[in-house]
Amino acid sequence: MEHWIYTTSLFGHTLSFNLDTIFTMWFAMICLIIFAFVATRNLSIVPGKLQAFCEKIMGFFWGTMDTMIPEQNKQHVPLVASLFLFILFANLMGQLPLRIIHIKQGELASPTNDINLTAAMAVIVLIYYLSAGIMKKGPRFFLHDFSFTSIVMALVEVLEMVTRPLSLAIRLFANVFAGEILISIALGACAYFAPLPIMLFEILVAFIQATVFMMLTIAYIGSATGEEH
Amino acid sequence: MEHLQLAQLGAGIAIGFGAIGAGLGIGFATKGLMDAVSRQPEVAGKAFGFFLLGAALSEACALYAFVVAFMLLGK
Repeated sequence: MEHWIYTTSLFGHTLSFNLDTIFTMWFAMICLIIFAFVATRNLSIVPGKLQAFCEKIMGFFWGTMDTMIPEQNKQHVPLVASLFLFILFANLMGQLPLRIIHIKQGELASPTNDINLTAAMAVIVLIYYLSAGIMKKGPRFFLHDFSFTSIVMALVEVLEMVTRPLSLAIRLFANVFAGEILISIALGACAYFAPLPIMLFEILVAFIQATVFMMLTIAYIGSATGEEH
Repeated sequence: MEHLQLAQLGAGIAIGFGAIGAGLGIGFATKGLMDAVSRQPEVAGKAFGFFLLGAALSEACALYAFVVAFMLLGK
């Protein structure tokens, strides 16, 4: 809940780093990189067990893209797939017993319980879908034609540029954070078996939130690159 | 009343009203799932996936209220 914040000053600006979030984020990334490296090491025409599993995962991404963006959707798969896998690994890491490693302040839990990380991912999604829309349509992305309706809709879209990343960031952060609060409340009630169902529920929540983040990213990209928006 | 007590009252009100909306949302989502499954039992698996997605989206509204309540308590 509370973070180990390291504050330093650089050229007169004060910078603060949440060290526990950085550590757990790198842990999740290293797990993901090792998994990807092992999975792509010995590729063959006749897939083994691991390769078949990973092809199923990629098939899931491609199928989801096909249902939500009709054409030219393969170029968006890398961003969407890495967001999904990273959020999934990060959320599942919260259920590992990393808390037994004591650090100076805070605890080693899932990195997505820090709003800075989720907000950074939401800003990445914002920049990506804006640039995808601009590359597809040019300046007509912002203003379709000069009529009253389209000017009002352009203003509404400027508002959406703020509310979409805000809701993406807060949704993921609040789900993970509320799960940790629930677990700590159950720990306070009875430390032996009371938190177990909530922890199992958190595993479900990890999958659902990763899927929701991915689906919303695809929907935003689809609405930015689609014919009318 | 002191400021802390007022903040606690506000946190309770915030999470309560937020939970009303999320409860209504998940209820409507469940109603839609039941309608779909009873009309076409063969789509149950697919509809359940969409139901989980919609339930997670409407549950997020209660979590916004939870964040606001937590910020009030943290003052």
